[in-house]
Amino acid sequence: MRSLLDALDLYRRLIGMQIRSELAYRTSFVLGILAQGLNNMAEFATLAMILSRFEGIGGWSLREVAFLYGMVSAAFGLMDLIFSAFDPATFGLDVRRGTFDRLLLRPTNVTLQVLGSKFLLRRLGRIGQGIAILAVAVPRVSWTPLKVLYLPFVVISIVLFFGALFIIGSTITFWTVESVEAINILTYGGTEMMSYPMHIYGRGLRRFFTYIVPAIFMNYYPALYFLDMPDPLGSPPYMAFLAPLAGIGMMAVALAFWNYGIRHYASTGS
Amino acid sequence: MTTHDAIITVADLHKHFKVYKHHRGPGSALRNLFTRAHHWVRAVDGITFEIQRGELVGYIGPNGAGKSTTIKMLTGLLVPTGGELHVAGRVPWRERKAHVAQIGAVFGQRTTLWWDLPTIESLELLRYIYKVPQARFRRNLDDFRALLELDPFLDTPVRSLSLGQRMRADLCAALLHDPPLLFLDEPTIGLDVVAKERIRQFIQHINADRGTTVILTTHDLSDVERLCRRVMIIDHGHLLFDGRLEALRERFGGQRELVVDMAEAPREVAVEGAEVVAREGLRVTYRFHGGEVSAAELIGRLSRRYPIRDLQVREPEIADTVRRIYEERLLEQ
Repeated sequence: MRSLLDALDLYRRLIGMQIRSELAYRTSFVLGILAQGLNNMAEFATLAMILSRFEGIGGWSLREVAFLYGMVSAAFGLMDLIFSAFDPATFGLDVRRGTFDRLLLRPTNVTLQVLGSKFLLRRLGRIGQGIAILAVAVPRVSWTPLKVLYLPFVVISIVLFFGALFIIGSTITFWTVESVEAINILTYGGTEMMSYPMHIYGRGLRRFFTYIVPAIFMNYYPALYFLDMPDPLGSPPYMAFLAPLAGIGMMAVALAFWNYGIRHYASTGS
Repeated sequence: MTTHDAIITVADLHKHFKVYKHHRGPGSALRNLFTRAHHWVRAVDGITFEIQRGELVGYIGPNGAGKSTTIKMLTGLLVPTGGELHVAGRVPWRERKAHVAQIGAVFGQRTTLWWDLPTIESLELLRYIYKVPQARFRRNLDDFRALLELDPFLDTPVRSLSLGQRMRADLCAALLHDPPLLFLDEPTIGLDVVAKERIRQFIQHINADRGTTVILTTHDLSDVERLCRRVMIIDHGHLLFDGRLEALRERFGGQRELVVDMAEAPREVAVEGAEVVAREGLRVTYRFHGGEVSAAELIGRLSRRYPIRDLQVREPEIADTVRRIYEERLLEQ
């Protein structure tokens, strides 16, 4: 308990430094937020136009797709806000520049220090627009107390899910930076995949995102529950509630791999 | 030297790196993943030394000699391939947190401070991370503010500091928790003469006054000359020399120069043990080898033969000496 409080206190202080740093450049900060949000909004507007022509995707209406799209977008933005220090592309550089070594020279938890070394407040733009898109879907949902209660759990689970992918990708850069593209396919490609109903994809791809990378539990199954839609593929309804389990499981695997990676790094230095 | 007060003991230390050959061209990423030919590089290849509390040691060597690999092992960033390594009774990499709480480190090229925030905020956060009691923090900060003249820029964002100011701020940051051992890597790199001198005075001060043991790695041999009694030279992973700076000069100093002003112009100026390298009016410059004849002997011989009015011995630059050691491999086993 004591050490958990210490950890939170350290994290709070590190993040405080990052927020004050980011606010030091006020104009760039505001523009960054606007650009992030607009970019996302434009993408969704394009999608909305296409959907209005074609009567939806895989039998899903615009409002229904907006649920998937907004949810992933907001959750990925939130993840990027919190976990951006673990973005494999920049983390690999930090290792090679010796920035990571600097953290190892301080007598406190390394993972928390990495986590606290960036806090991209400008991702608020993307989060805001994600929520705006999600709002399009709100009238379509017949809300029950359980749904209201479960929604934040789904968001947190997706954050953990993508955060875990970032951590795994960063850990791989202890061995090689050449794999960064591969992990980007899972993260950035994953958000694209998850923005649309998964039953439109082929069987192989669906299996991959069920058993290898459990993305299907994070967004698609919960969406079926929120929208009261039966799974066209006939999966049982409890699948909708596996998101927290999958999110926490992914994060546990990622952290174990990360700790292994740090030990490997100390023994090879590359 | 007594061994009981050693802060660092290193015995037959090795660090070998596996270096992979990389394929190039189309499909190279895939091939690199599966077929990885490699060879071993012995970055540190069996070095042994001890450093006593309170020493100020210069650790020098050309690029890629194994200098920074040694420092990384001493600071706990790297696990040795073989050999023994103890710092203040601990094995650095095995007890990372306890170890790094007892050391300070400044890497001249990089800052440990938060780039966009006023310097004082970084110092405050480091106080928290190192769990320095408030009173001791105040006392140390007051000391360093005076010694390093930090006041003009404590409230300035780190990114706006000059290189010299940043270095002073980093030195302060590295010492707030009173580490008994300080690693300095190129602390004067890129600084002008005045700023260099200020940093050197400070290093000397904390070594003498606080008894901080200092390991200094540098390319600027005038740092070593000015600060260190003891110098260690590493090349190709081997410790080539470990001893007093004067001993290094005596053994490998090579050419010293004796400049003599004659009272009247002699017909010839030759003397055994030295060669004449310049003759300008009454001034004659001799060059001699420190290992073969001493300056006193040579002056004796000259004064018996010629009327001398004044003379001056020029020592070789330590930089030249060290360069000769690398180039001519004077110390190769």
